[in-house]
Amino acid sequence: MRNLIAFFQRFRVFVVFVVLQIIAMSTYFSFLNFPRSQYLTSASSLNASFLKTKHSVTKHFNLAHNNYLLQLENIALRKKLPQSYHQLQHGYVKIDDTLYKQQYVYTPALVINSTCTKENNYFTLDIGKDHGIRRGMGVFSEKGIVGIIHKTSDHYSVVKSVLTENINIDVMIEPIGLFGLLKWDGKDPRRGTIAGISNDMKIKRWSKVVTRGGSGIFPRGLNVGKIESLKSVEGKPIWDVVMRFSEDYRKIQRVYVIKNLLQEEQFKLEESIPQDKEND
Amino acid sequence: MIDIAKQAIRFIVLVIIQALVLNQLEIGFSIQFMVTPIFLMLLPFETSTILMMVLGFVMGIMIDSISNTYGLHASSLVFLAFIRPFLFKRFEPREGYDVLKTPSIYDMGTGWFISVFGLFLFLHHLWFFTFEIFKFDETIFILRKSLVSLPFSFLIALLLQALFVSTSKNK
Repeated sequence: MRNLIAFFQRFRVFVVFVVLQIIAMSTYFSFLNFPRSQYLTSASSLNASFLKTKHSVTKHFNLAHNNYLLQLENIALRKKLPQSYHQLQHGYVKIDDTLYKQQYVYTPALVINSTCTKENNYFTLDIGKDHGIRRGMGVFSEKGIVGIIHKTSDHYSVVKSVLTENINIDVMIEPIGLFGLLKWDGKDPRRGTIAGISNDMKIKRWSKVVTRGGSGIFPRGLNVGKIESLKSVEGKPIWDVVMRFSEDYRKIQRVYVIKNLLQEEQFKLEESIPQDKEND
Repeated sequence: MIDIAKQAIRFIVLVIIQALVLNQLEIGFSIQFMVTPIFLMLLPFETSTILMMVLGFVMGIMIDSISNTYGLHASSLVFLAFIRPFLFKRFEPREGYDVLKTPSIYDMGTGWFISVFGLFLFLHHLWFFTFEIFKFDETIFILRKSLVSLPFSFLIALLLQALFVSTSKNK
């Protein structure tokens, strides 16, 4: 026992070093998969209030450009209003429509903190549980998808953005309808890669990439980006597809959070499929 | 007492500058500014290593929680506090360190400061990027990233030091 105490006294600096390192590293590597710690994120109310103060200054930097984008979107929506159509047929009466049912609802949000240069980039939004935001909802902006809600507090939430290593959103290459998983290599915030495209397919450069909508997080057909280049991977029958994002994540400010009203129904249906059992 | 207050102000100013200003800057070429090592560098010579490690840990966790890096800054600052005594011993002047002086560029001279703080900052960057990227086949990218970021972090740290230390001298 005395030896043990003597040992610790001799090496106490090193012991403290190792203990602190273990704490720091375990918080780092555990957060990458699932947010266990409640307070050490930018969604905690104290940190978020700091960020909100910062945002109240920095939001003015891109204000003109953002207003212009909103105006463009307003024009696009205004075109669809009944007032902007000239009625050609006068015999019809509008009735309550039962052909369509609302599946997705959207909540507007502001990005109050974001990074692009890190290996895993998280954005902080100014809405949270009180606004009906839950873990696993999709986030997109007017130009393209942004990410998936990773953690929420009462008034704020953290988005695991597309610029994260294991984002794995299922996407589709447009005219030919090929499916793949969206990945990011941690370097260039303008480009991502698509995994799992076999190299017997012919893909044109600059063909559009949209969401597939398979997991019920994003609706089908949201913009993601465009194919920039194809390289063959040595020793594997797949393409290394490099894609340019349609959204510039370095300037992002206004986003929308998607809520899928039919998601539970889809999950329940998919759960009822019998799992593959290992027979011998 | 005044000394402790001064260090506390430095601590808070550095956390705010690093988390709310420098971590938000994106100037391309994979450059990232990190100036927090200047705090550990400017602590008095006789500070105990354990105290330095705890201070570094607290500072790192504060920055991490604001900028969503979860322990990366904390880990690299703890590492730096651990390595500082060895580094200072290696670069000790012939007559030893004067306890009344501080390890700043004004007291210890330009040559000493550039070599010690340059190495100090480089080790910090290397540790940070190694654990942030954490892939063996990206070794060259890690080295490039830390070498490119180094001069920029160094310059800003020098400016901050002028802010911190010269005000305390005029008093």
